[in-house]
Amino acid sequence: MVGLSTGEKHFIHGGIAQDLRSDGRKRLHFRPISVETGVIPQANGSARVRLGATDVIVSIKAELGKPNSFQPDKGKVAIFIDCSPTAAPEFEGRGGEELSSELSVALERCFLGGKTGTGAGIDLSSLIVVEGKVCWDLYIDGLVISSDGNLLDALAAAIKVALSNTGIPKVNVDLGASPDDQPEVDVSDEEFLQFDTSGVPVVVTLTKVGRHYIVDATLEEESQMSSAVSVSVNRHGHICGLTKRGGAGLDPSVILDMISVAKHVSQNLISVLDSEIAAAEANADE
Amino acid sequence: MEYVNPLTGFRLDGRRPNEMRQIRGEIGVVAKADGSALFEMGNTKVIAAVYGPREVRNKGQQINNQALVRCEYGMANFSTGDRRRKPKGDRRSTEISLVIRQTMEACILTHLMPHSQIDIFVQVLQADGGTRSACINAATLALADAGIPMRDIVTSCSAGYLCSTPLLDLNYVEDSAGGPDVTVGILAKMDKVTLLQMDAKLPMDIFENVMQLAIEGCKAVAHYIREVLLEHTKQLECHRGA
Repeated sequence: MVGLSTGEKHFIHGGIAQDLRSDGRKRLHFRPISVETGVIPQANGSARVRLGATDVIVSIKAELGKPNSFQPDKGKVAIFIDCSPTAAPEFEGRGGEELSSELSVALERCFLGGKTGTGAGIDLSSLIVVEGKVCWDLYIDGLVISSDGNLLDALAAAIKVALSNTGIPKVNVDLGASPDDQPEVDVSDEEFLQFDTSGVPVVVTLTKVGRHYIVDATLEEESQMSSAVSVSVNRHGHICGLTKRGGAGLDPSVILDMISVAKHVSQNLISVLDSEIAAAEANADE
Repeated sequence: MEYVNPLTGFRLDGRRPNEMRQIRGEIGVVAKADGSALFEMGNTKVIAAVYGPREVRNKGQQINNQALVRCEYGMANFSTGDRRRKPKGDRRSTEISLVIRQTMEACILTHLMPHSQIDIFVQVLQADGGTRSACINAATLALADAGIPMRDIVTSCSAGYLCSTPLLDLNYVEDSAGGPDVTVGILAKMDKVTLLQMDAKLPMDIFENVMQLAIEGCKAVAHYIREVLLEHTKQLECHRGA
């Protein structure tokens, strides 16, 4: 990204202070979101989300695997994000690895539960086939094609849409003669179970610039941030995950205020995403 | 396996032996890049982004009388049927990066931009055979979108030989059949070959037929690319209010 001059920096700070950002938005407005489902036909579920100039694709593949011995009644989910160099030349070779792992870990924190698998936004026990022996492994792969800030929110929205588009194939299980035998699993090509996404959260990132916070920062606004808090909220208003980035210290009361602002903004975002998902599904059915 | 039906002459996906897959090109898909394009050949979908000409990052690689052209090819995790673990850095990706770089370098007028660097990044979203060719075609459109001076349009297409028939534009199933796969890249108007690769073996006279078929495919792609560029320029003219 080209550097900003002092005049441009003042313009960004001043605009945010007056609730009028460089592209005309208010502080708590999102850019227009456009959503497409089923973009990757060979995956179980996929989605492409465009948030202004930020463009991300998420694909979900389900493969049969063995559950963890610590959690024999839960399936496994792995989230892996890749930043393509088409988004920025700095991501060439291994340059994008740091950002990719930071995004992957933050998303795992928001969507998956703690070490025992409890409290996950995605219901892991719905992925089990035969307890202790066979379960579904969900691989969630995200690709950042174009970046104009707010990657975490866009990726989380894409994961939510892709999950709503995901069909897990029905399986017929043939248990072996003895309990130690590996059961025979017959994966159906015809029937699919739609994934239940009512509990899946969204992520809202609040970026603090000067004394105010903004939602959905562009790349230029992010370069002026002092700190950012990403809050993951679900439909019921429960907080599912929290990440603070940036070196500047924040007063605890400020963080509590940011969380309540994020909760308020997320309800609108969830309803926008739900209507986009419904529209995309209606388009797909036609 | 019957790659060409002996009775009807159709291939596995219903095409005739000298028929290309449906191609589609779109310019300007990555807003932040200097030039970008999406190119589809059948189910193979590829995005190319060009950054440059810009200042050379690594002063040691700077060339004093020419632009430095760099290229990176990456495949998304979900691009192939089985999930790939490593998106880039494996040997095949390194080789294809090199091939695309050499092909594009031959057509860019690098002596007009000394001390500068042009980065071409290609990302495969869906792979169904012919990714190399789709990448070169996408890179041509992206370079044109970035306004980088070129000698000519470079286009590429592949052809093979299965069941005693030369086949144009192989998809993944036909490519993995083990028959020969000839990839050709040409400078369209100047009618010169810049890229020629083949694996497996072919008798000389049949090779000439297959190569000629691939060149015909390249010319068809060039015709389509020219139309896309013309349409895009008309839209730019419209937006400028001319």
